[in-house]
Amino acid sequence: MSPLLDSIFSSDFGFAVLRVMTPLIFPALGFAITDLAGVVNISLEGMMLMSAFFGVIVGAFTGSLLLALLAGILIGIAMGAALGYFHLKLKTDIILGAIAMNMFASGFTIFLLYVLTGDKGSTSSLKSLVFPEVHIPLLRSIPVLGDILSGHNVLTYAALLSAIVFFFLIFKTPLGLRIRAVGQNPDAARSVGINVDRVQLYALMLSGLFGALGGLYLSMGYVSWFARDMTAGRGWIAIAAATLGGNMPLGTFLAALLFGSVNALAIYIASVNIPSELIQMIPYVATVLALALYAIRVQKRRQKIKEEALEEEYDSGPPDNPPPAAAKQRGGSS
Amino acid sequence: MKKILIVLVVLLMASALAFAGGEQEGAGEAEGEQVQKEEPLRVVLYVNGTLGDKSFFDSAHNGLEMAEEDYNVFAKTVEGSYDSSRWEPDLTQLAEGDWDIIIAGTWQLQEYLEKLAPMHPEKRFFTYDTSVDYSKEGLDNVYSILYSQNEGSFLVGALSAMITNSDMDKANSEKVVGFLGGMDIPVINDFKVGYVEGVEYVDPDVDVLVSYAGAFNDPAKGKELTLAMFDQGADITFNVGGETGLGGIDAAKEREQYTLGVDSDQYKIFKETDPEKAEWIVTSMMKNVDLSIYRGIRKHIEGTLAYGEAEVLGLAENGVGVADNENYKRLVPKEYRDRVQEIADMIEAGEISVGTAIGK
Repeated sequence: MSPLLDSIFSSDFGFAVLRVMTPLIFPALGFAITDLAGVVNISLEGMMLMSAFFGVIVGAFTGSLLLALLAGILIGIAMGAALGYFHLKLKTDIILGAIAMNMFASGFTIFLLYVLTGDKGSTSSLKSLVFPEVHIPLLRSIPVLGDILSGHNVLTYAALLSAIVFFFLIFKTPLGLRIRAVGQNPDAARSVGINVDRVQLYALMLSGLFGALGGLYLSMGYVSWFARDMTAGRGWIAIAAATLGGNMPLGTFLAALLFGSVNALAIYIASVNIPSELIQMIPYVATVLALALYAIRVQKRRQKIKEEALEEEYDSGPPDNPPPAAAKQRGGSS
Repeated sequence: MKKILIVLVVLLMASALAFAGGEQEGAGEAEGEQVQKEEPLRVVLYVNGTLGDKSFFDSAHNGLEMAEEDYNVFAKTVEGSYDSSRWEPDLTQLAEGDWDIIIAGTWQLQEYLEKLAPMHPEKRFFTYDTSVDYSKEGLDNVYSILYSQNEGSFLVGALSAMITNSDMDKANSEKVVGFLGGMDIPVINDFKVGYVEGVEYVDPDVDVLVSYAGAFNDPAKGKELTLAMFDQGADITFNVGGETGLGGIDAAKEREQYTLGVDSDQYKIFKETDPEKAEWIVTSMMKNVDLSIYRGIRKHIEGTLAYGEAEVLGLAENGVGVADNENYKRLVPKEYRDRVQEIADMIEAGEISVGTAIGK
């Protein structure tokens, strides 16, 4: 038992947490941005899968990491744009459209995999490229922290940075302001001359960009090939992470960190002699618990707002209707 | 809250749809093809999955192709996808079709064969990696092939124990080895039981870490689990988990640690495309599905195949074994290899009996 504890309290474990959370944080941000814009995109699983596939294929056939990156990102953005076209132009239900995209991505990647490599399982017959690992000069020499933070795949750092980028995008740019405005009240946004459809389309395309980076990390960082359906539900867990984080940058980041930690924990204690089903439940139980706690907190805050409103009523006669949306917004800005 | 509910419902729907929406490659096309010449033996292999797994189904398909090359056999492989609702109708159609032998493996198809075989007494059926229940009526036309993966795993387990105790380059001082399983199911546990017993046979003090990924198609998780086992002191791991297991091999490459392949000679698979990965695959525990199917067809043609019973192919029948390739010879000292061979001989001779997880 003690080597287990040793390993959990070692820097290896911290390192593993960051590695596990990378493919969660990208799609979580991808979901958050669409939810903020009022176009819930649940096709992140499919976006990741397509980018993971095209990254490996383009990388293997051209030998260029840059082209692989571009191809993966472009296909992710294209998926976002396609979903936007279905939903905004053709007026499809966005949930159904996204489910179709997920199924399409799973089947299409296997189909192309077979056509291009003659294999329906994985691209392990191709010589695929991998994004480099980065050793940060000063940081790496700090005892424990250096071991945890240095030496990751470049995309892991990109994931951490993207939470910051997301913050600036949402709160410091005109597009971010529009995205939030459109998400809160599309009619109001329209009345001040915002092109709602266009803003939502941009949000979906940005979502594709984030999803793409997550997919690329899976097939060209975490492992070095594409395998059928290799996202294995990460696109769905990411949605839970974003919801838990209130679609806000720090919240989403912390939620992804939490999921990364419990997943890593489940992985580390998998080798103990406990029924494997119990251990495999840990991340999901943690998800449900976290969501329940979050819901309770929101509920309490709503209650508080209601009480405050009532008090005001006593003070100053009939109230202005307390906007129910306010509770959610405040709840999220953690 | 409502949103979360919606997400959950959609999740459910999506997974249900995904199961329903596997690729379409009908069993229907298998029918009605007329081949001239002098009546070849018509054999169809039904795969309840898809080819491309680099191990199990690919190996079965390969065995059929070998038979087609050597004998007057018309062979066809039908891929039924992972959509279990299609398996029974597909098999029914094949049983009613113009085939002499229908081959369908894995325990998941066992029930359907038990139903179909009595209805088509003129047809012959093979099943592999499982056995039909011969106490039921009318299964005289079914030949079942079982593999003693526990015996093969015993050998690589013994080898692992020798390696973790050795002064080989990457062996550490701790007496720990690892086992990565795809899912916690009987066939995988049969590997595990053999592996653990093999380790204990050589050195009872060696710890075996056992991790299950809960999926056969999550290489990232397989890699993470294997890295965690290396962190806990393992210096060699055994990967039994399809695509998930390939992640384990990737972990070995990253940490420059030893690992063991499964089903096929995985060193040979990676030798061309990724030699740096291949060099860490000490050997592979082979499950010779191809040879067993080839052997079955050959014996059918010779008229010596015993239908109506299950045959267990172990070390003696070449159903399982250790891949004896150049990497094995390069990495492992001769004395260890000789010892593995010695143990194999003892198992064949019945001097060591290996436990099993099947039928428990």
